[in-house]
This record gives sequence, structure tokens and C-alpha cells, in this order.
Amino acid sequence: MEPLLSVRDLTVTFGSFTAVDGVSFDLHEGQTLAVVGESGSGKSVTALSIMRLVELGTRGKIENGEILFRQPGGEVIDLVQQREDDMRKIRGNAISMIFQEPLTSLNPVYPVGDQVAEAVMLHQGLEKAEAAERVLEMFRLVRIPEPEKRMVQYPHEMSGGMRQRVMIAMALSCDPKVLIADEPTTALDVTIQAQILGLMRDLREQTGAAVLIITHDMGVVAEVADDVVVMNRAKVVEHGPAVDIFENPAEPYTQALLASVPRLGSMQGRSEPAPFELVEYDS
Amino acid sequence: MSAGTPLVEVRDLCKHFPVGAGATVHAVENVSLQVGRGETLAVVGESGCGKSTLAHTMIRLHEPTSGQVVLDGVDISGLGNRALREHRAKMQIIFQDPFASLDPRRPVGRAVAEPLLIHKIAKGPDADEQVADLFTRVGLEPDMMRQFPHQFSGGQRQRVCIARALATRPELVIADEAVSALDVSIQAQVINLMMELQSELGLSYLFISHDLAVVERMSHRVAVMYLGQIVEIGPRSAIFENPQHSYTQRLLDAVPIADPRARRDRPLLTDEIPSPVWAAGTSPERVELREVAPGHLVAAEG
Repeated sequence: MEPLLSVRDLTVTFGSFTAVDGVSFDLHEGQTLAVVGESGSGKSVTALSIMRLVELGTRGKIENGEILFRQPGGEVIDLVQQREDDMRKIRGNAISMIFQEPLTSLNPVYPVGDQVAEAVMLHQGLEKAEAAERVLEMFRLVRIPEPEKRMVQYPHEMSGGMRQRVMIAMALSCDPKVLIADEPTTALDVTIQAQILGLMRDLREQTGAAVLIITHDMGVVAEVADDVVVMNRAKVVEHGPAVDIFENPAEPYTQALLASVPRLGSMQGRSEPAPFELVEYDS
Repeated sequence: MSAGTPLVEVRDLCKHFPVGAGATVHAVENVSLQVGRGETLAVVGESGCGKSTLAHTMIRLHEPTSGQVVLDGVDISGLGNRALREHRAKMQIIFQDPFASLDPRRPVGRAVAEPLLIHKIAKGPDADEQVADLFTRVGLEPDMMRQFPHQFSGGQRQRVCIARALATRPELVIADEAVSALDVSIQAQVINLMMELQSELGLSYLFISHDLAVVERMSHRVAVMYLGQIVEIGPRSAIFENPQHSYTQRLLDAVPIADPRARRDRPLLTDEIPSPVWAAGTSPERVELREVAPGHLVAAEG
């Protein structure tokens, strides 16, 4: 089957620094693909390039490559070649994104419900009353308790977990084909993280949106991803089904990365603490 | 872990912060615990549970509202500034963000030398020599002491902070989310270093962390905090393999397992932790701990 999104030989530079170097991968309908890597590996720049946000406000430049996206109508376009006006119609609509820190993604001076309504009024041309209905529906979908009451609250009145639910509601409000989630649970406590990851899994089944999740956390990858792209120093070092990557990592970098992941339950039956058995990786 | 008197004994420690209109945040509420010599006690819990405030109050970065902290047989909770300074040498702290805890305009060697000078442990060439030794001990080249914080990676900067914490030859080192900001490969190296230093120097660690998988690796005992109080405390294996309190169980259930075949379907919860703010004249109910096994204490649940 034709992929929904196909990143081909993508290279992104910031001045003389190459942040993403010849990265390629495909994302299919209904698939959850994780791009995993450590700080500076290029995973977030890859995500921002798909949204064409690297060139805005930063000195990033897409030097090479294609980002082919199959639109809801079936037509395949190269996002790299789109004008800013056309990208605005795609962002938050057919492709939407959630970020690590919901507090900086929400406007502090407007009620959260109005902010979600803005997206559907802008992209789907809904009237105010219809938009409010849609917001309620979305808040119920992401399991925000007492949605009528929550809609009129400001971001500071909500917990981090509830704010991230609002961001997910906003991202899903226009029925996107692709949801890009950049470290969506990194700023959250572990019990709230479990709630949000469970929600994301559930929503994928309900909405059919493909999910591209960017994370540094191998635990998160194991919880949600069908397939994994491992990045290191701007390049893809390994790409495959999650089960294979975890059980039989082929590349030395992936092996070293997995060896340093703390795993709950790995100390069973031992009374004293024990150091990590690290795998040497010569970078 | 050696027998005998514990290095640190905390008794009924409380730290309250006024938040206006007579209301109070009960950040730490009647916490009692002990840290043995050469032992790592981990304190786990979620944002706002009071784990960092507990650590800061123990070394009097916050003044306790009530309660005692006995270090090496001396109650430090009531000491005046001069006497406290002497005892501060025995307890040091490492914070989460090493970049924020180093002066960007001073060579890192100066940061490590400062406690030696303040506590009159060494000066001049002798201090330089000790700094060089400390650098070697934490896996850095002694030459690096003349470099500035921005010239280091995050892991190296945290090694500098560890060297600084060790300068006064402390008995207790508090690590407040000290590895949380590091990439996993670096995190594993720093944890291994901390464990090595513990066995070489006989250090006790109070290891504050939200990451249960890291805690399972490096602690001897674990305390679980919820809304300012300890709800469960005991040997690591008891907490991880036989958790008794519902909150401990919930925390453990929520930890992602780094194995895609172990994926579980969890109920989709939406509940949140209640507020630790109490109106004037009200206060939280004190939880009583009962011993379910030797050294394993659990709060009664209603």
C-alpha cells in the first residue's frame, strides 16, 4: 500500500551544521511510528521539517529531500515544495502536532475551549455554536472530566495532564490523517503519562490517524510504537518493527542505547544495588 | 549497610508554606525516616509530593516548621548559623540541572575548590591538588579544571557537581533528581559512578527521583511519598516486589516497560492528585505507619 507520509533523503541544516542527514522513512495509515534518539540526534528537527516549521523563526533550511504526503483526496504532494499559505491549510488540519510542554503551547489569556474552537472554525468553517459542540465532543473523546466546566477554564487552572488532553483534543479536532507527537509525555508524571499513552493508543483505533511519536524514552516506545526509527547524530541508524529492535538490535548504537535503559523488574531477587552493564559504543 | 546508629534520623519533620488568606501548603507532613551509613535511601513520588522539599528541609535550605533532623548524633534543626556551617560539610547536595548550578563565568575548578576554601580544608597549591584528585575520582581529566561550564557536556557538568559535593568529604550526599536531565546513556554512566563512589567512600545517599526504574537499580531502601507524607517505606525488594499501599502499586503499574511484548492494557483513568493546600484551621489527617515485615512500613488506608 502507498504510504500516507514518505520522508525521502531529508537533509536539514542550520548554518554549517547538519541536523538531519539523509533521513528516510514511511508512515502508513493507522501506524504508530516512533523516532527515538538522544539529545541532538535530529529527531525533533525531523518532525518540525514535516510541518515545515524549521524554517520559521530559526535558521533551519531543508537542503535536500522530499516529504511526500497523500492528501485526503488521494493526491500526493511534496510538503517541501509547498508555499507557506498552503502549509497553513495543512497544519493543524490534515497533519497536526502536539508538543512536550502544553503550557507553552496554550495561550494563557483565553479559555481553553475557545482555543480548540478556533482550530475548527478556521479549518472547517464551523460557526461558533457548532464549534462549541465540536469542542465538547473532543473533550469527551480525550476523557476530560466535566467537559462543560473545563471548556471555560484558563490553562493555569488545569493540571499538566489535563492541559495535554486539551492539546490532543485540539490536534484531533479537524480529523487529521497524521498526528505528530513530539515528546508528548516527557513533562508529565508517570501516572499521568500512563493515562496519556493509553489515550493515544485508544484514539488511534477510534480515529485511524497515523501517529509519528518523537521520544527519547525507550519505555514510551515499547508502550505505543509498531515500528521504530533509531536516530543518532543526524542519521537513521536502525529502522524496523518495535519487537525486533528491542529483542535483536542490529546496530552497535542501538545495543548501547538499550543497555543503558533502566528496566523496572530487572533487579528482582537481588538485595544489593547493581551497576548497569554498559555496552561500549565508540562514537 | 552497616548496623548501629543510622547516619541521619529525621523525626516528625514538617514544612509548611503560607499561600495567603491563612491557607497553607503542607509540603512535608510528619515525615520520619532514617538513612544508614553507606546506604542509599530513595524517595520517590510525583511532582508536588514534597520529596524535594523534604531533602531541602533536611539540610536546612528551608527552615523546618517543626521536627528534628539528627545527623551523626547532633540535632541540626536548631543549630545557629556558625554551628550549622560546620555540619554542612558533612551533607552535600547535587541538583538536577548542572548548568544552572555552576557559574558560567568561572572555571569549573574554582567551583570545586570553593568548598575546600570555605571549610578551610585546604588552600593554595594544596587545594589545587585536591581539586585535581576529585576530578580524577569522578572520571574527568585534571586539566579540565581550567575550562568553563559551557565547554562541557551535560554528563561532564554533572560529574563536576559530584566532585564539588565530594570536596568536603561528606557523609551524606543528597541527589535531587541528579540524573533526570541526562540522556539515558549518560545517566547510566553517572549512576554507575555514584555507586562506585559509594562503595569507595562509604557515602550515604538520599536519592530523590521520580524514575522508579532508576531507583530500583541503585537504592537499598525506598520511601514513597504522597501529599507530603510517607505512605510506604522499606527495603527495595519489598517495595518493588511486594508493594502494599495502593498508591505504590499505582505508581509501579504506571511505569512504562521497555519491552513491546509486555504491553498491557490499562484502564483509562483520569483522576488527579488532590491539592496539598489546606485552609486556615484545617490540616491533613496524619497517616499512621504500621510494620508489615521487618523494616517495611505501610500507611493504613481508609
